[in-house]
Amino acid sequence: MTGDRLAPDPLAARLAELLAQAALKNQRAFADLYALTAAKLFGVALRILRRQDWAEEVLQECYISIWNHAGDYAVQKSAPLTWMTSIVRNRSLDWLRRPRQEAGGEEYEIAVEAWQDDAPGPMERLVASSEAAALARCMQQLEAKQRQSIMLAFFHGLSHSELAEHMKQPLGTVKTWVRRGLERLKLCLGEAA
Amino acid sequence: MASYKNPQLRDRLAAEYVIGTLRGRARARFEALQRYDPELRRIVAEWEARLTPLSAAAGEIAPPARVWQMVARRIGAARGGDARAGLAFWRGLAVASTAFALILAAFIGVAPRPEPQMAMVAVMNDDRGQPALVVSWPPMKEMRDPYVRIKVVQEHPVMAPGTTWEMWMLSGGKDAPVSMGLIGIDADQTMKLRPALASRIEGAWGLAMSVEPKGGSPTGAPTGPVIFRGQCVKIL
Repeated sequence: MTGDRLAPDPLAARLAELLAQAALKNQRAFADLYALTAAKLFGVALRILRRQDWAEEVLQECYISIWNHAGDYAVQKSAPLTWMTSIVRNRSLDWLRRPRQEAGGEEYEIAVEAWQDDAPGPMERLVASSEAAALARCMQQLEAKQRQSIMLAFFHGLSHSELAEHMKQPLGTVKTWVRRGLERLKLCLGEAA
Repeated sequence: MASYKNPQLRDRLAAEYVIGTLRGRARARFEALQRYDPELRRIVAEWEARLTPLSAAAGEIAPPARVWQMVARRIGAARGGDARAGLAFWRGLAVASTAFALILAAFIGVAPRPEPQMAMVAVMNDDRGQPALVVSWPPMKEMRDPYVRIKVVQEHPVMAPGTTWEMWMLSGGKDAPVSMGLIGIDADQTMKLRPALASRIEGAWGLAMSVEPKGGSPTGAPTGPVIFRGQCVKIL
């Protein structure tokens, strides 16, 4: 665990409070919850789906789901933003699974190439974000290929076969990179805790 | 998928489920399994806690306002639940600005919160002429800590990341707009005024709201697009 419940994080505390209010059907609290989280969650959905219209639809569905299930949050052991982000990630990945979504549309301009390992942006942002400090450090300890394949899979929702295609490597090779990278991350984060 | 009982396999599948490489029927099956296997659900939650901070690297992208409007409509907020009931009422009232201002005065007069009678009001419209904010303020002479009251009557304002909304006082003649401050995201808020501004606002003819970089306009004058504007009307 990254221990995000241990550190007193004012945003997490505020979000937990708003979720508790939303569970009581307080619409004003839910509007505040939306204002605090929508841009983060939209970024998550947009990067996986790479289509503005899909990301909007998924985001809308996710907030309805959060509204309906805010009461379930209390029993979760996770940080509120983790809980909400997972809802968005899972719904986005489910969306990609729908067969009719294969056809291309106007793609949102997030170049997958920008996530090449030498691109400073995402890693810098990760290092800058305090709750992700341990993770950032552990990510930097991975081999470049492991790190890159994890970033591509996590951010852009690339499947194993898409990863293989994108990185021009055999399927088995990228699967191993992802698996070994995840194992090492777990180990590294365990030591950090 | 041979056996879901092997601890290494369970951990690996949970990790791949969370990172998203577990796809298709395997993903659906794994989701179904979690429902009846709290221990598996715990392993997934641990992976979520480990990996979700990666999302922080994605940065923020503000969704268009229509997303919130749809959400609000679907949770019933738009047609008058507890907190938003006021909004529908205000929006319905907003027909003609001067007439509206007079009705507004009556409304403010019966507001439940003990508050001085408002002296002036500005209904700030968006570029389609729809009311977005109502700004009102009491007689400034009587105020030790001058402020204006801001009510959001349109959709919940969603500011793009790295931007703020700055309110400007337009004081007629050739005077340049004067910054009043940055507004927050609450549907009902107050903005403190510098005493120097308080003495001038009673002579202002209008207000405007512009989109500015975080921390406000770097130049002291509006630099971004003006999104709302409205005339000041005396109601007292």
